[in-house]
Amino acid sequence: MKFTRRDVLQTGAGLAAGAVGSRLIGSGSAFADDMMSFKPEKGAKLRLLRWRRFVQGDETAWVANTKKFTEKTGVEVEINSESWEDVRPKAAVAANVGDGPDVILGWFDDPHQYPDKLVPLTDLAEYLGKKYGGWYPVCERYGKRGDEWIGLPLGAAGACTVYRQSWVQDAGFETFPTDTEGFLKCAKALKAKGHPIGMALGNAVGDGNSWLHTILWGFGGKMVDDKNKVVMNSPETIQALEYVKELYETFVPGTLSWLDSNNNKAFLAGDVAATINGISIYYAAKTSDDPKMKELAKDIYHVNMPQGPVGKPTELNLFTQAMVFKYSKYPNAAKEYLRFMWEADQYMPWQQAAIGYITQPLRAYEKNPVWTEDPKHTPYRDCVKNMLWNGYSGELGYASAAAMADYIVVNMFAEVCAGDRSPKEAAERAAKRSERYYRV
Amino acid sequence: MTDATPQRATEPGVARDGPARRGRGGDEGEGMDYLVSLPRRVVTVYLPLLVFLFVLLFPFYWMVITTFKSNEELYDFKDFSPFWVVHPTLHNLHKLFFETHYPIWLWNTMVVSVVATFLSLFCAVCAGYAIERLRFKGSRLVGMAIFLAYLVPPSILFIPLSTMVFSYGLFDSKFALILTYPTFLIPFCTWLLMGYFRSIPYELEECALIDGATRLQILVKIILPLAVPGLISAGIFAFTLSWNEFIYALTFISSTTNKTVPVGVVTELVEGDVYHWGSLMAGALMGSLPVAVLYSFFVEYYVSSMTGAVKE
Repeated sequence: MKFTRRDVLQTGAGLAAGAVGSRLIGSGSAFADDMMSFKPEKGAKLRLLRWRRFVQGDETAWVANTKKFTEKTGVEVEINSESWEDVRPKAAVAANVGDGPDVILGWFDDPHQYPDKLVPLTDLAEYLGKKYGGWYPVCERYGKRGDEWIGLPLGAAGACTVYRQSWVQDAGFETFPTDTEGFLKCAKALKAKGHPIGMALGNAVGDGNSWLHTILWGFGGKMVDDKNKVVMNSPETIQALEYVKELYETFVPGTLSWLDSNNNKAFLAGDVAATINGISIYYAAKTSDDPKMKELAKDIYHVNMPQGPVGKPTELNLFTQAMVFKYSKYPNAAKEYLRFMWEADQYMPWQQAAIGYITQPLRAYEKNPVWTEDPKHTPYRDCVKNMLWNGYSGELGYASAAAMADYIVVNMFAEVCAGDRSPKEAAERAAKRSERYYRV
Repeated sequence: MTDATPQRATEPGVARDGPARRGRGGDEGEGMDYLVSLPRRVVTVYLPLLVFLFVLLFPFYWMVITTFKSNEELYDFKDFSPFWVVHPTLHNLHKLFFETHYPIWLWNTMVVSVVATFLSLFCAVCAGYAIERLRFKGSRLVGMAIFLAYLVPPSILFIPLSTMVFSYGLFDSKFALILTYPTFLIPFCTWLLMGYFRSIPYELEECALIDGATRLQILVKIILPLAVPGLISAGIFAFTLSWNEFIYALTFISSTTNKTVPVGVVTELVEGDVYHWGSLMAGALMGSLPVAVLYSFFVEYYVSSMTGAVKE
């Protein structure tokens, strides 16, 4: 990987800002006495597999932090990256074959699919939790198997409602409502003004899963209960399906085939007044050279995904966490690397360079200036706090991962919207599909 | 087409059809005369051809225009038509060639595809000839087993293959692909060449045997020269399959500089949910050109070998 002088300067500026930020949250030198450390093995070299950058700043800052780690410890780290959807199969192969990268930044419930292949990270996770205000509850769910931490949460690429302020105000709303009822009313009013909304109903790993799980759980529906018993076919699920069917009437045509990138394109093209997405739409408009896009960026606002009748946030966001594999010859070096990267001096500048793409897993990082320097970033700050876990309210593991990979929830909603099945039929079918996985 | 009429008229089958054709198209209605009238030709020949052309070429057209479009045009359907380019730009090509490792990926893909193709052809020629001509006990079963091996999907094979790739220390090297691609190339090439070898008369080999030629001489000096169309056809197929392969390249390669085009393009030009469509299309277009050129040079051999093999 090559660096230009500009990259180094930009990263330097980011790191300086991060250092200021870390003092803001009371870390840095104040924690000098409170520093855990793992002694890397002699001659240790590490290989990290991570998802491809979401924004250039993310990768540049990550590499700069890694370089700092190498200078400090002498441990070289080779960083490989793959498209974010392709990391999961590679991680599964590494786990099954017993060889591959020492550390992998995976997604969702990856660690729970091969827990016996992973190095326990309990000491490290407890140290970080204690030092940085604690992990959000959902992070403990994702990171822990029983009492043992098997993954180290890095955060989530959060999703919010992204909308055109002027059109929403034109439709009679000050901001986009954050409850499902208001959300529907606003969508109808926008449609009446000739500005439909649109969310992915195709097999979109990120967007489709995020908003549809959020709605399902918001109405009290869920795939399984606490004991992993399939309870998908419930009155709450049917209510959620009826709601989305009604909401779908306000959508722009074509959303049934939308994947993760389609809503970005439609929003930037002015085809939709609102969608549910990461911060990427705003970022693309803000950093574009096109004056029209810059103008559009001024009109883009965000609010958190809507809460349903259950009256509390029920979000699902793209959650990522680090795993250290037992086949690694250098587990201590790997843990030391993770500790170093998760410390405020490194984490905060990296989070800042990623301009809010990744929401922190540790409460102390809520104070990162990235969330307040542009008020439009702020809703993304709470994405992990508002999250539930995949396969809620059951256990994480093979079944929850397979059910998501099979798009059971997404397809259930899409079938109703397409008119292929009634809500009752779609819920029945989804329950049958879920049972196939949860029976194992 | 009109030349065919007198010949066909002398064939018994065609002569028997004569009255029926005449009944439909008048007293000259023989052979393909029904294509003589322009409206009929339009409906039966030109229109289906146009539909085929549209279906086959439209993706290429879309790739070409997207390659030369700016993001402003790409996202603005109100001011710009999506079907052509108003302000062409080379920005996407520049990004592809100078801001990514695309030239290296092209080179990697070329090396892997060419070597894997030749390796597979060599093995397939040996296997195909042995099964078809040496007629050892169980040769039919071996032939069938090789064909069945082709039906095992790579998505099942890649985990056991990963174990082997890691064990031999081939991970993240071109050899990982060069040695795993033949797992699906050899069965297909063998199956194709078996069919082609079967269409070559035995008598030629028997004459050579009488003249004292060895089996190896027969293979090299008689069978292979006669099987050139079959070899080209199998080669093109193997090359295309290697060129487009995704799952092994994704699993066995990690470093950016060792990637092939299908994996490299997806990794480098998709950032989260932001797809750099212009550069992605440029990558797809440039990546499909070598295969298109190869096909255009050898299309006649390709067709003749396919029909030859299938006949048998």
